Amino acid sequence: MCIRVIGASNHRYAHIGDVIVAVIKEAVPNTPLERSEVIRAVIVRTRKELKRDNGMIIRYDDNAAVVIDQEGNPKGTRIFGAIARELRQLNFTKIVSLAPEVL
Amino acid sequence: MRLEKCWFCSSTVYPGHGIQFVRNDAKIFRFCRSKCHKNFKMKRNPRKVKWTKAYRRLHGKDMTHDSTFEFERKRNRPERYDRNLAENTLKAIKKIDKIRSDRASDHIKNRLKTGKVQRQKEARKQLEQGIHLVKAPHALAQDSSLCLPKIKVNVSQAQTEENQPMEE
Repeated sequence: MCIRVIGASNHRYAHIGDVIVAVIKEAVPNTPLERSEVIRAVIVRTRKELKRDNGMIIRYDDNAAVVIDQEGNPKGTRIFGAIARELRQLNFTKIVSLAPEVL
Repeated sequence: MRLEKCWFCSSTVYPGHGIQFVRNDAKIFRFCRSKCHKNFKMKRNPRKVKWTKAYRRLHGKDMTHDSTFEFERKRNRPERYDRNLAENTLKAIKKIDKIRSDRASDHIKNRLKTGKVQRQKEARKQLEQGIHLVKAPHALAQDSSLCLPKIKVNVSQAQTEENQPMEE
């Protein structure tokens, strides 16, 4: 669950590429992350449309984020689902390289 | 830049138009306008929606198999730029487009031909049976030809002169 958007005021929503502070509501057992842990994550997919400069508008089927540490490296080793190309410009290269599909 | 096809209606989506929807299995659905997008969200099947190309092709309203469609097949290998090739391709696109549209309109014309013949037959029959609506029966008795008389209207020069004062 999202608590805050990093680097933004109260009246702003997070979009693809924003880092958020979140708390874990549900965790798979036997993983390094546990329930009610406060972590940082970067948003990779949103149901709200992403507008590109070339006029392309992309909408995903769900809202998804990747848990990262303070430097911006993903805490996990695998990423599921498609990733938006904008993340490459924002220096999340490791996430982009792990992604099965970049759209 | 690539000209895509709308998933719902099969029209071309030009850059800057429409919305792309990415499903969780990474399948991309491109839509040309919100009409198609909204129909998709309503989970309508394009093969059942009358105005889509999918329906028309499925029900034989439009041409399905033609050699001109081979030119539009998606090719994933990028071609090295060659000015001559580009020039020839542009000329060919125009020609192939014209040929394809001509063939498509011929297909539709042929499809509608049987209806036209049918309508003419029905009109002739109606003329034979319903001639009493046009010409009174007693007049028909005098002149028993079943054709309607041809009336010639002479357009006189005087009419054009009358119109000129109005142009003030």
